[in-house]
Amino acid sequence: MDYARTPLADMLAAQYVAGTLRGGARRRFESLLPAHPALRRSVADWQARLLPLTGSLEPVAPPTTVWRRIEARLWPAPAATPALPWWQRLALWRGLSGAALAAFAAVLVWQAQPQPVLPPVVVVLQGTGADPGTAAPAGAMQQALFVASVSGDGAALTARPLAPVALSADRVFELWSVPPEGNPRSLGLISGSQPTVVRRDRLPQTLLKGGTAALAVSIEPPGGSPTGVPTGPVVFAGKLQL
Amino acid sequence: MNRPSENVARPQTEWSARSRELGELLARSGMGDRAAFARLYELSSGHLFAVVLRIQRDRTLAEDLLQEVYIAVWKAAGNFDAARSQPLTWLTHIARNRAIDSLRRAQTQPQLQTSHLGSAESDDEGDVTDRVAADGPGPLDLLDRACDARELETCMERLSPPQRQSVALAFFDGLSHAEVAEHLREPLGTVKSWVRRALQTLKTCLERGALRDQAS
Repeated sequence: MDYARTPLADMLAAQYVAGTLRGGARRRFESLLPAHPALRRSVADWQARLLPLTGSLEPVAPPTTVWRRIEARLWPAPAATPALPWWQRLALWRGLSGAALAAFAAVLVWQAQPQPVLPPVVVVLQGTGADPGTAAPAGAMQQALFVASVSGDGAALTARPLAPVALSADRVFELWSVPPEGNPRSLGLISGSQPTVVRRDRLPQTLLKGGTAALAVSIEPPGGSPTGVPTGPVVFAGKLQL
Repeated sequence: MNRPSENVARPQTEWSARSRELGELLARSGMGDRAAFARLYELSSGHLFAVVLRIQRDRTLAEDLLQEVYIAVWKAAGNFDAARSQPLTWLTHIARNRAIDSLRRAQTQPQLQTSHLGSAESDDEGDVTDRVAADGPGPLDLLDRACDARELETCMERLSPPQRQSVALAFFDGLSHAEVAEHLREPLGTVKSWVRRALQTLKTCLERGALRDQAS
């Protein structure tokens, strides 16, 4: 079956969202979704039409035990070791891979300018595995790397993709400084195909003094996030190791 | 027919407003911010629990389901794309999906004890009647309230009463085609075509309304 927007496929999507598609048919339909973007769009359209109807339901407060059980399962209390800071749970902190070490070397070679008194700090941002959705092919982010080079005095930052990473025309990359606590802070939009220099006045003063624990890249609409925190998937991240 | 009072906020605009609030919290949850996730739970769990309860009448099962929903939300929050859907829509879909998946053919029998107030007697009566909410507003009332929004109301009026009722029962109470047919005492084929026509009519009408809004 051609899962472009045929009337039959659209009606299946409608039945799926309405809830009348059941059992084996429902499971089969769900298994088709990852590979058929047109079908996903149909589902999204039907969700937008039908789900707001549930707004007429009176809310029912669940018992407090439900939240406690959620907490216990998601964040089990550590035995004796202190809890990991939250950014360390982004999937990739297994140490630098071979590719990342190569990137490190490449950056040192590339920096042909006179060496500053303090050596530059290099952050390798690896793919987090987050789904880029329609912005890029699924596998594209996984292998790609960004390298951010921060001058030793913390006053200039250059972000560079190791190899060009393509995004659909209606999306941009945005770079974030992630502090140890609190909200990420935007460092502006960066290019997926060439180095971007982040203006000095956009960098936090405390960038290399503990104010930044990690750098991250998210996919945003043109102009960047409208809200001041990432709104799209976080596709690259790297810890700042001082 | 009774209409909801004028004080009831228009559900469609309220939906978007509530979604906006949740969007930031969802983004921060996706980056591992626990406090943001706790706040998200605070703001949305009442709604999601209500959605789940209409479909999964067993309270204990519904509570378990709600847990699973939020655990799934935490894990998937990093993948949420605000450009593709609204946060409240995304959350509600997860909740409805899990609730529907939790329904099995013969499940209604054991549920009678926990969900029905003092009802040992109706074991042999249609299980379906217990699946339809005994207390609280019926599915048609819910549809009515939801349709306070101008376009949806106009579109709903194009449906025949059986079409509206079928769609309402299926959507709000999670009845399958067969169960709707049993509840309304109508042939299965008839109910299927009612639901199909209702959905098609809704879609066409809403699209026309959207075009009208764009043009004006």
